Amino acid sequence: MGVNLTLIQSSCVMKNIILVGKPNSGKSLLFNQLTGLRQKVANFPGVTVELKSGQFGEHRLIDFPGAYSLSTLSRDEEIAVEKIHEAMHDDNTGVIVCNLDATRLERSLVFGLQVRDLAKQHNKALVFALNMIDEVERFSHNVDCERLAQDLGAPVFPVSAKTLTGLHEFKLALLDVVARPENFVPTKSIGAGDTVFSISRQIAKHYGIHADIVLKQQNTIDSFLLNSVLGGVAFFGIMFLLFQSIFTWATPLMDGVEEIIGWLAVAVTSAIGPGLINDFLQDAIFGGLGSFLVFVPQIMVLTFIIGLLEDSGYLARAALICHKPLSYFGLSGRSFIPYLSGHACAIPAIMAARTIESPRKRLITMMTIPLMSCSARLPVYALLIAVLIPDTTYLGGLLSLQGTAFFVLYFLGIVTALLVSVLLNKFTSKDNDKAEMPFILELPNYRLPHWKPLLFRVLTSAKQFIRRAGPVIFMVSVVIWCLGYFPSSEHALEDSYLAMIGQWIEPIFAPLGLDWRYGVAILVSFLAREVFVGALGTLFGIEGADENIAGLAANIQADGLTLGAGLGLLIFYVIALQCVATVATLKGETGSKKVAWGLFAGYGLLAYASAFVVSHIF
Amino acid sequence: MTLWDVPAKKSALISGLDASLLPAVTNRLLEMGLTDGQSVRCLRRSPMRGPLVVQIGDCVYTLEQSIADKVAISSLS
Repeated sequence: MGVNLTLIQSSCVMKNIILVGKPNSGKSLLFNQLTGLRQKVANFPGVTVELKSGQFGEHRLIDFPGAYSLSTLSRDEEIAVEKIHEAMHDDNTGVIVCNLDATRLERSLVFGLQVRDLAKQHNKALVFALNMIDEVERFSHNVDCERLAQDLGAPVFPVSAKTLTGLHEFKLALLDVVARPENFVPTKSIGAGDTVFSISRQIAKHYGIHADIVLKQQNTIDSFLLNSVLGGVAFFGIMFLLFQSIFTWATPLMDGVEEIIGWLAVAVTSAIGPGLINDFLQDAIFGGLGSFLVFVPQIMVLTFIIGLLEDSGYLARAALICHKPLSYFGLSGRSFIPYLSGHACAIPAIMAARTIESPRKRLITMMTIPLMSCSARLPVYALLIAVLIPDTTYLGGLLSLQGTAFFVLYFLGIVTALLVSVLLNKFTSKDNDKAEMPFILELPNYRLPHWKPLLFRVLTSAKQFIRRAGPVIFMVSVVIWCLGYFPSSEHALEDSYLAMIGQWIEPIFAPLGLDWRYGVAILVSFLAREVFVGALGTLFGIEGADENIAGLAANIQADGLTLGAGLGLLIFYVIALQCVATVATLKGETGSKKVAWGLFAGYGLLAYASAFVVSHIF
Repeated sequence: MTLWDVPAKKSALISGLDASLLPAVTNRLLEMGLTDGQSVRCLRRSPMRGPLVVQIGDCVYTLEQSIADKVAISSLS
């Protein structure tokens, strides 16, 4: 009786199924097709390793990061491989699924055979999924999977995660393997005198498709997209579309979110009636969190487009095109997309820097992203430009002075970032990493992206943004609200603690030609830069300054802000890292408080010094 | 001669990796297919001494000069 019970229990017990494979081998799509709609992503601080897990039947499927090998180059890979070793020792690990790319059999076997030997050594069941089988069958190439399985010493299942060919059979087989794993421990391993390389070449020669057939389409498209002239045009066209999408297409969605939050605020506060709680909810909660949630749609659109570029295979080409120019500044070709994204919001941009192969270049890219003029700076620029720059146009309206000023500010941010990168490269030690990976990148086949992994990516990006930035924004918004609300009985900003602090710190801003009102506006904009406009509006007695920038600009002009002080303030906003959410993200992604707060202080000082110089020149 | 000297549309055989490379990097390059005797084909070169695009075995890679310089080749054809 007792024996039977254990038997039943052991067959019902939830096991972990480990999914491994080389990058660009269709592994993510296979994962998405095997698991349901619910996924969990586990991150490790400071590294780009991500373990995705989902439900497969009653078992848990864990997707490991793509790897070329079990021997490691960087800290990231070290952690990923450590996790694989841990899984091999774990009694809960039922099966290891090794994803092979049928179109690049030799390359995927180099890793596949290493994993097979490890599984054999640890007595773990292993199966191979020969993925993207549709792409070789298209060329009427057939793989004799039974004989391949004999040669590999482990079962091989031809599947296509895209067309779903063989997926049903694979699922059934996988359940069978989990039920009796002891029957599926690999029977072969690399013998003496053989190497992983020789065996994988031998097997690929016998079973694989000829490389030239598969690569033909890719090379044809490349001869257009990597052409020195046409490729350049295509590159700028695609980047222009990306830029357009984050600013134009995301706007209606952002307005929608704003409207919903506004509607919610009215619904909630009108039910409560006037008073302290009402003011708190209205300004601190709906106002503070609203100004932050508004960025979620923009981040989702941005992630969608970048995902589209990556899954189609273009991102690797974009990195190739940008590599040479960026290498002059000590950056990698892969730094380009994060930099571009930084013009929408630094937070997804810092997370996008994960794809940079060299840890050192990744760190430098992440550290300089906050200098890109993000969209939260836009209202600040708009206000100050309206105050300082006359609205004159040249060449019959083609060239406007104000428009040029906008361009100069964006350009200034990029130039500062590149200069800081050069400095960081010079003054940081090189031997921090195990080895500096040179720029060598696989150019994957062009493929039509599949909606499933894309959708998960977009949802994950929104979740990560809210989780990373939400708590900080909430805390700061409550603190700033309290400081601005008390102790005056009318709750006027000009009599609040915040104003007192402003007057107290006035000496700090006086050398820049700014009085305490600007000081207060700068202080509150640490919550989010665009709050600057609203706060200044309140202090200048203009209600709803966000919608009435012209009115506020006229007031500031009448108040007599000097050109030097105004330009200095603009420069200050270009450089200063005034965003607690970005600091929190930097801390999370670099795994270092020191880097995050060091940058906060460093850019703050640099901004102050530059503003000081500018205010004295003009 | 090194991989960097291969003109576009020409092929060669890899004859070794420079000893100055870190062992971990050498190992990775081997795993990516840059093994002795492997044939490589230069698919294209980029302007301004930018990265090369090469086909090595069943993969297409792009690599910069600093690494292509360290891959010795023979029998250019």
